[in-house]
Amino acid sequence: MSDEKKFEPKIIGFLCNWCSYAAADLAGVSRIQYPPNIIIIRVMCSGRIDPSFILEAFKDGADGVLVAGCHLPSDCHYISGNFKALRRVTLLKKVLRDFGIEPERLRLEWLSASEGDRFAAIVRDMVEEIKKLGPNPLKAKEVEA
Amino acid sequence: MVEFEPKIIGFLCNWCSYAGADLAGVSRIQYPSNIRVVRVMCSGRIDPIIPLEVFMHGADGVIVLGCHPGDCHYSEGNLYEERKIKMLKKLLALTGFEPDRLRLEWVSASEGQRFAEVVTEFTEQIKKLGPSPLSGKKPDDRILENLQAATNAASDFRLRVLVGGERELTEKCNVYEEKIPQEEFDSLLEEVVKAEYVRHKIHLLTRAQPLSVRALAGAVEMKPADVLDQIVAMRRRNMIALDHVEGTTPFYKALEVK
Amino acid sequence: MPEEKTDRKKIGAVLVVGGGVAGIQASLDLADSGFKVYLIDQGPSIGGVMAQLDKTFPTNDCSMCILSPKLVATGRHPNVTILTNAEITGLNGKAGNFEVKLRRKSRYIIEDKCNGCGICAQKCPIEVVDMYNEGLGKRSAIYVEYPQAVPLKYMIDREKCIGCGTCQEICKANAIQYDQEGSEATLEVGSIILAPGFEPFDATLKSEYGYGRFPNVVTSIEFERILSASGPYGGLVLRPSDGEIPKKIAFVQCVGSRDFQIGNNYCSAACCMYGMKEAVIAKEHTPSKLDATIFYMDMRAYGKEFDAYYERAQGEWGVRFVRSRVAGVTEDPKTGNLFVHYVEDETPRTEEFDMVVLSIGMQPPKNVEKLAERLGIRLNKYKFCETETFSPMETSKPGVFVCGAFAAPKDIPESVAQASGAAAKAMGIIASERGTQVTSKEYPPEKDVSKEEPRIGVFVCHCGINIGGVVNVPEVVKYAKTLPNVVYAEANLYTCSQDTQKLIREKIIDNKLNRVIVASCTPRTHEPLFKETVQEAGLNPYLFEMTNIRDQCSWVHMHEHEKATEKAKDLVRSIAAKAKLLKPLEKPIINVTPVGLIIGGGVSGMTAALELAGQGFEVHLVEREEELGGHLRKIQYLLEKKDDPKKKLDSLVKSVMENDRIHVYTGAEVVDVYGFVGNFKSKIRQQNGKEKEIEHGIVIVATGAVEYKPTEYLYGKDTRIITQHELEEKIAKGTFKAKNVVMIQCVGARNEERPNCARICCGQAIKNALKIKEASPETEVYILYKDMRAYGFKEDYYREAAMKGVIFINYEDERKPQVADENGKLKVTFWEPVIKEEVEVEPDVVVLSAATVPNPDNKHVAEMLKVPLTKDGFFLEAHMKLRPVDFATDGIFLCGMAHSPKYIEESIAQACAAAARATTILSKKSLEMEGIVANVSEDLCSGCRICEYLCPYGAVEMKDKDGKTLAHVIEALCKGCGACGTACPTKAITMGHFTTEEILAQVKATLLEAKA
Repeated sequence: MSDEKKFEPKIIGFLCNWCSYAAADLAGVSRIQYPPNIIIIRVMCSGRIDPSFILEAFKDGADGVLVAGCHLPSDCHYISGNFKALRRVTLLKKVLRDFGIEPERLRLEWLSASEGDRFAAIVRDMVEEIKKLGPNPLKAKEVEA
Repeated sequence: MVEFEPKIIGFLCNWCSYAGADLAGVSRIQYPSNIRVVRVMCSGRIDPIIPLEVFMHGADGVIVLGCHPGDCHYSEGNLYEERKIKMLKKLLALTGFEPDRLRLEWVSASEGQRFAEVVTEFTEQIKKLGPSPLSGKKPDDRILENLQAATNAASDFRLRVLVGGERELTEKCNVYEEKIPQEEFDSLLEEVVKAEYVRHKIHLLTRAQPLSVRALAGAVEMKPADVLDQIVAMRRRNMIALDHVEGTTPFYKALEVK
Repeated sequence: MPEEKTDRKKIGAVLVVGGGVAGIQASLDLADSGFKVYLIDQGPSIGGVMAQLDKTFPTNDCSMCILSPKLVATGRHPNVTILTNAEITGLNGKAGNFEVKLRRKSRYIIEDKCNGCGICAQKCPIEVVDMYNEGLGKRSAIYVEYPQAVPLKYMIDREKCIGCGTCQEICKANAIQYDQEGSEATLEVGSIILAPGFEPFDATLKSEYGYGRFPNVVTSIEFERILSASGPYGGLVLRPSDGEIPKKIAFVQCVGSRDFQIGNNYCSAACCMYGMKEAVIAKEHTPSKLDATIFYMDMRAYGKEFDAYYERAQGEWGVRFVRSRVAGVTEDPKTGNLFVHYVEDETPRTEEFDMVVLSIGMQPPKNVEKLAERLGIRLNKYKFCETETFSPMETSKPGVFVCGAFAAPKDIPESVAQASGAAAKAMGIIASERGTQVTSKEYPPEKDVSKEEPRIGVFVCHCGINIGGVVNVPEVVKYAKTLPNVVYAEANLYTCSQDTQKLIREKIIDNKLNRVIVASCTPRTHEPLFKETVQEAGLNPYLFEMTNIRDQCSWVHMHEHEKATEKAKDLVRSIAAKAKLLKPLEKPIINVTPVGLIIGGGVSGMTAALELAGQGFEVHLVEREEELGGHLRKIQYLLEKKDDPKKKLDSLVKSVMENDRIHVYTGAEVVDVYGFVGNFKSKIRQQNGKEKEIEHGIVIVATGAVEYKPTEYLYGKDTRIITQHELEEKIAKGTFKAKNVVMIQCVGARNEERPNCARICCGQAIKNALKIKEASPETEVYILYKDMRAYGFKEDYYREAAMKGVIFINYEDERKPQVADENGKLKVTFWEPVIKEEVEVEPDVVVLSAATVPNPDNKHVAEMLKVPLTKDGFFLEAHMKLRPVDFATDGIFLCGMAHSPKYIEESIAQACAAAARATTILSKKSLEMEGIVANVSEDLCSGCRICEYLCPYGAVEMKDKDGKTLAHVIEALCKGCGACGTACPTKAITMGHFTTEEILAQVKATLLEAKA
């Protein structure tokens, strides 16, 4: 585990059913390759994503969390769920450091159903960035303890 | 000055040509010593990528010898080989490496004399062509890279499917029970050979470093518009991706194709 | 109307011709109202031009994001049969009972077997020019038009296929059939809707613009593909000549439109907006600075909120607008740059650009004459379908209806509204046969599993080699068996195949499974199929879950077999943790009162009432004024001349008054509305002051609009200054006489207070100017305008007016015309841009084209119905593009000028559309709602109202219970997004199927090893 190179981050992706999950599907249909470090949890709307889900994920050892919804302002299938996600994630990012988590580990992205390419690029980028950050500090603490 | 002694690799099928070479020996028929024979069971075994590999290792000539049409021990391996060599020559023509360094001939078990003649004549031809640009201590990097691109193109599914299917499609019939006229097939093959070669060339070039359409156009000697078309086609097959943009110029980088 | 008794039996099925967005909308409305639909398209999939678009105006929504759910819904609808590669070869019979003959091209694929995995296209050696990408990319000879295509069935392009047989070798589903022949079919239908769309103008015909000769001149539709993230350039704007990002793009408007030379005199109606949108999106998609210039003649941003977009394009987004028709484009062959030649301020100018986009117009579909001949319908002079003002969806043949761009060039929302309208018309004539051609599915009684331990069955799909070629499927199956509560696991070659469905049912019964997981492709397309399967085995459909190990695993980690296998295991473990917690959900059933309430008795309200009554529903029609008619009362004659609006109004009122099913309340108003979809209760205050309570299932808002009372240009201070309506009345009465008339456009519109266009005033001015000229050709008529917005075929009348000597003079906001009374003489001064001088005229009359403004009642009605208004005060629909007559709240609809100003034919189309949308509810005895809804735990609820405030659908209401105010979810309105649950401070709200426990269980299970 100590070997930096071997560190394979575990990323949880909360994706809304309508646009961002569809983007992930399109990446698949177009066979665009990206690292397998992300596990996607489908929810109906990004507005469903409770900050506590994200905190729990970090507590449980996630090295990164991606929240993705439909593009602002008006792609949201539920009219304004994406705005709600924006507010919640923005606020959460501000307090994340207090929990000992680098805010860079949490990302909020808007993805349309035709942005398969972009979805893959985001995952690639995130994996790289988190590899640089190293494992989730909460996990490291636990190991020390 | 020492006379140029070419290195020639001969691929001989076990049943006719190899026997023909043996007969030349038994009959003590003399021919130049430049050829190094590799025995294979059938000339059809010679995948287009094999001569390419051999050339990349510096051979000055490659000759493939098989049974005469109708004599093939495996029925039609030689006829399939004929199509492969034809395609390969088209491919070589694009790389700047002389296609004449590659030859296919039919030699039967009883043609010891012919074997010697063919080898002699081919050796003469290669001598005239001079040393391979890839032989010696300073191989021509550009041509080496081109041959690598050709090898990759020849390994890719499109050319393999077409070359493998050519005889069925043009001589027998396709799945619709129609025969495709040879000229029609040739022009299709020509087009695919060109496209695949260029794509793999672009792939190799952008593997080393991200490149722009303009830079690629210079390197492959094509119009930028045509290079862009190829990049679009390559993106569809996940061979290449946008790397970054500098000013108004996008740079592309190869994706690893495993 | 009395029911017709005919010998021939009517048929409760409809043929929809054309699978673009209009055809799709019509099909869904019909199918949801109990009619069988045959949707045919000549191509291999539905979606039409909208599937090619990147973003849509005026909201910049992603086109595919909003279209794709509709595609899936159409593809899966039990009442819709999609027949692709089909064309009509003959038509017999008459309205109510048609026999349609079809010819279908072969796909060379067995549709039932093809599961759309696409492995064939990956291995096909042949490349073909990809027309979905407008020729800018390549596809295989075996192909689907685009990744989200419906039906997702591959097709062999027989012309390009060399017949190598590779696809057959590779297809594990054995779906390839090279000897498949084309087929003939005969359909029996009651009515027909034509929605064949349009053909983009062939830009090579305008050779002066260099299209086809200069690589950096592209058409607008090509540019859509260039902008698209899934397009040839991945969404980066590039020059085709050299792949460079352009710094300067010119958009040339009206290419193939408003063009006398090539015979397309009409305006294509959508290009101004899409040109603007493309300019804006191009700027957004370009990392470096991009200058975008639009060359236009009139900026026709006439639709709802379009002018606001125009303002933003100029201001916020910095698009430059040049009013000029481009004369030609030349190229610098060295750089590939283009010179745009145009005239501005009477001076010829040349400007260099990196790229030119031609905003090409709409033409009638190809081979339309053949279609018209076979169906026996008349075309207009431009070969679009002929229709009349008061019957905009009716073709010349009874029983055959039209919608979308084939009726006249139009944008998406207009097409969608007209499509719903055509659906109303198509079902109207066969209303008696509703439900006769459709079959409803019966399921076995549901097993009660609440007391059982979870017993999970896992089915892992190989998907041929799509998953199995990367992921070690047997290992995943073995692993699944070790997971808590998993009692059964197996692998399938194709889990979606018919025989596997049977097998799953058997396994559920044999192994007493009470939770089922399929690990395969995407739930977005396949979840409904598997839900049905478990339901057939007696399980509640919400006891099913799915995880995506193909699109989001094997396909994207093709070269990392081990890691992909590990990820697949993670995904199965994660979903199994959720499955363990799944609870059966009930789909709420809501009874429907089959009665409609319509607010507003103008042409829209009356039309909607007649349509609903024609469908067999009772209607309450409430009009505030003493008599029915609304705005139509003020219309004396039409621009199109043919119909007499007075007579039409009288007959409309008569039909309404004589209809037994319509209860008319004039001088009345709706004072209260309670309830929700299917179950409204409202109070009507009648003329006599008495209140009447009615029950109804839906509401249609048709409150109309009113003419603005100008405060500018001395109106009200001088009787010689009148509005267009006042002028029209005078002309009709024969009391109008003048030698010199000045009309001023955009009075009370397109200004700071009301930034949007009032849409109908340009047509009105042209109409009245023509009338004046007709009566007295020597009268001078000036029309001072900002942009003449005579869109569609109205352009013909604009031209006619100009030919007859009406003088059109453009003015800008900076130099508005001045009206003064000088010693009793009217004086109008304005800037003449051609001669560049102030001009003064002395008219007898000044006519103000006063805006159409929202009905002042709207605010009250909106509050009562809890539906939103736009900033301008018109009603705001659920979605500007695809739901033009729906509100976000189910069961409430809008139409006509309550939505925004519009012409009579547009109001009628929307009114019929609202009726069709209402019928999708009223035609059902009860509504089955989605089971995924929010629930409130009353013990935990603190009554803080956050959820009520957050819910965009008005699905949360506050109820008093035992002295406490508690939130209550109206299940009928809840869409299941979960935003309320996430915001609830006391965690009193839970979401079915996406409970917090379920999501957290997934998180924990996913990270099990990360923590260990």
